[in-house]
Amino acid sequence: MKRKTLTFLLIILANFTIGQQKKFQINGAARGYFLSNNLNLDESLDSVTTRKSNYGHTLLDLGFSLSPNSNTEVIGMFRIRNELGGFWGGGVTFDVRQLSLKGVAGNIVKYEIGDIDLKMTPYTLHNTLEEGVINEGDVFDLRREIVHYDMFYNDDNTWRMQGAKMNFGLEFGEFLREINVKGFITRQRPTDGIVEPERLYGGGTIKIKQSDNLTFGFNSVNVFDLSETIQDSIQYKNNVHTFDMLYTKDINKTTDIGMKSEAGISSTSYSNYNDNRAPESIEDWFYDIALVSHLKNKNLKIQLGYKDVGADFLSSGAQTRRIDYSRFPGLYQQITNNALGRPISYTDVISGNTENSFKISERLLPYFAGYNNMSPYGIATPNRKGIYVNLLRTDSTKFKNSFINASFMTQSRGTGTNNKKQFILLKAGTDVYINDFFGWKKQLKVDLGLRYENTSRNGEDYEKGNLNSTFIDAGISWEFAEKLDLLFGAKLWRVNGKAYVNERNQFNTVVNFDVVDYDFTENTYAAGMRYRFSDKNTLSVQYQIFDINHKTTNSINYGISQFSFLYSLFF
Amino acid sequence: MKKTNLLLIVILFASSCRKEDTNNFDGPNLNDLFGPFSIIENIKINKNTANFPVDNELFFSGELSKNTTWVISITGETTGAKRTITGSDRILSIDNSAWDGGANTFPGFGLENALIEISFPKEDDSPILYDTVSITNTKMDDGILITSFENGEGSNWSKFNQTTVTGQIECSTGESAKGNCHYGFSGLVPWDWAIGSVMIKPNSGTFGLPATASNLYFNMAFKPIENTGIGNTFLQFWFDEDENGDGVFDEATEDRFIYEYWYEKDGWNLISYKYSDIQFDEDGNQVSTNGNGLPEPSKLISINVFYLANRDNGNAKALIDHLIFTTNKPYNP
Repeated sequence: MKRKTLTFLLIILANFTIGQQKKFQINGAARGYFLSNNLNLDESLDSVTTRKSNYGHTLLDLGFSLSPNSNTEVIGMFRIRNELGGFWGGGVTFDVRQLSLKGVAGNIVKYEIGDIDLKMTPYTLHNTLEEGVINEGDVFDLRREIVHYDMFYNDDNTWRMQGAKMNFGLEFGEFLREINVKGFITRQRPTDGIVEPERLYGGGTIKIKQSDNLTFGFNSVNVFDLSETIQDSIQYKNNVHTFDMLYTKDINKTTDIGMKSEAGISSTSYSNYNDNRAPESIEDWFYDIALVSHLKNKNLKIQLGYKDVGADFLSSGAQTRRIDYSRFPGLYQQITNNALGRPISYTDVISGNTENSFKISERLLPYFAGYNNMSPYGIATPNRKGIYVNLLRTDSTKFKNSFINASFMTQSRGTGTNNKKQFILLKAGTDVYINDFFGWKKQLKVDLGLRYENTSRNGEDYEKGNLNSTFIDAGISWEFAEKLDLLFGAKLWRVNGKAYVNERNQFNTVVNFDVVDYDFTENTYAAGMRYRFSDKNTLSVQYQIFDINHKTTNSINYGISQFSFLYSLFF
Repeated sequence: MKKTNLLLIVILFASSCRKEDTNNFDGPNLNDLFGPFSIIENIKINKNTANFPVDNELFFSGELSKNTTWVISITGETTGAKRTITGSDRILSIDNSAWDGGANTFPGFGLENALIEISFPKEDDSPILYDTVSITNTKMDDGILITSFENGEGSNWSKFNQTTVTGQIECSTGESAKGNCHYGFSGLVPWDWAIGSVMIKPNSGTFGLPATASNLYFNMAFKPIENTGIGNTFLQFWFDEDENGDGVFDEATEDRFIYEYWYEKDGWNLISYKYSDIQFDEDGNQVSTNGNGLPEPSKLISINVFYLANRDNGNAKALIDHLIFTTNKPYNP
């Protein structure tokens, strides 16, 4: 009898658990992070700044997913964060990290309300990866992931926003396979009731799949202020409408060829602004058209394209930078006895000591020309035209994810002169699996990446410029014991030359030029160990050395070394 | 293969879409910011003899290698009058360098030689250019002149001077703000702030001013010489209006607006304010008068200029000159 009773209870419990799994799920992340920084700077230059700086936190992101019915899901995530050194609740924060509701209406329309991730095309809505990542080693990737996770920078280039989105699809017959419709509306900014009107951002796409060979779509994104949410009713608008198309055709069993393109217009207006610098309306257009080919037997994808993005093409959703280089870093903001502001260096980017964008910006944010001068605003960088070639070898033994990108661009319109800047950009990278060469089971991977950029302009002495930026991104990941990896990495910048960097006002008008004459190397080396409890659960320690050396006398040479301990768990 | 060719044609077509914009560029001109400076066409004045009532204005012409700040300083050899014209255009012409014969402030230019100096303050090692112009006739004032004291005292004027004060028209001293004469007060009055006054009246009727006060400016030159300093000296202007038109001002029933101007700086000062503002005190409150309380310039029958100075500071001395009404803007000496 006891056995029967026990069996009955087990069956009940099992059913309950299965039911619970369907209706209620828990997921999230946990992290323990400790950083110890040390500023390396000549004592004669700086006898004031405290050299050592320690920092750390533990946090738990606890997510709940509730499904009250088969068509609805409610997701909530809470963050409990404790700064190391906080005492009995001091330094503890409790935040709502995510709250969203999604479901399917009438078994047709999918919707999501609350915190939503959005992405469209590279010219409409796209969260472009920050500079300095060509083919990054795991030792840097471990720490960058933290910044990306905290800022909701996903690998698929989405922007996290608050609002609502929906999509539905319609299937048709032979001449028109299907139509997919997506739409969204988000709130970018509440009004302050005085000078800033409420700002919304909305748009959508209609994607039409005519056949397996041809897909095309219409995309529209629009930033707009709501009138009458403040007294003066100033109104900013940025509308971008594009058409994109992908056509591919198998020309034989191993090769397909086609065309990929996007073209569109933008219009930006500032209505009722008292500031006479505000242009009433700016309009421009772009197109980007490329021949694409896939050589299947060689796992090789080829893209040969030409693009022309107008100087006045503005697209807030696509051109917002992740990092504003006009801001000072969060760590060692001022150095030297004269308390000079320390510009952002690459170690700050890795450590997340920069001011990162969490929403799209109407302004083209300042950038650092030494790192990226050709496309600081991503693919949609305005005032660029020229050809590009991309080669990608998707999969092979020994070498994986090998790529070569080359771009040869020029300005559409001169800046400060009728002579236009010329840009050359070369990027290449590959993952070399050394263990495959020798038949080792344990992975020994070398990540290699190279970026070279040249900006030049001819003309009179006062307008000539020639800026070279070379960047090597390398890493080694060696599983020398079961689940235990040795990690090494290096990011090496060499920048030299003169450039005229645009200074824009709040209305994106070029108002001046910052004449920079760089000659420096900036090197970051890291070494560490990682233990993988599982793919989603790691423990790592690492030591990173950074230094910047200017050959010009009016800049400060310094370094920062960091020891970090990181425990990371996703569940 | 045909399709590939078609795609290539599309790309080539697309690449030629944008019209090449070779005439415009974004931002300030790099040549202006960083280009070398030189004078391409020498800067010169269009006439070296100025008869302003005939010529209206003189101007400078020339061409520089870049847009940069230039400063033209014109100084009266006798009066010390100064006029500065600045600009930053690459090409100097009548549009940006015209001179109507006026000065920045009092004193104004007389019949004299004017010395011209042209400099480029933002350009290191740039030359300074010099020239001279002879003024044979000064500019015509744009306004209704009450008096510049050039023709002596009017038949209806009245004066008040303390017993120790001399208050009179003085000529040919070389100190006048405009022309050859001015009115001067000088004396030691240790018992009172009141030094002296001169009440200026037309020979008959009113001054013939327009009816609208809101765009009418009263202007006068004032030069405190002794007993100066903030809080030590000031002028009182009495504007008497004959409201009933009987040719006589009755203080008991008609408006007397009193406006005070306190010392600001040594040297010639240009006092200039809207006639409509005389109805308010310094705090913006309506002043009390015995008439209708409205400034009505067409009824103005007399202007009394009353000079006062700190009795504890010894001798008081000041000059006044060139009382003139202008329309829409303050007087330009």
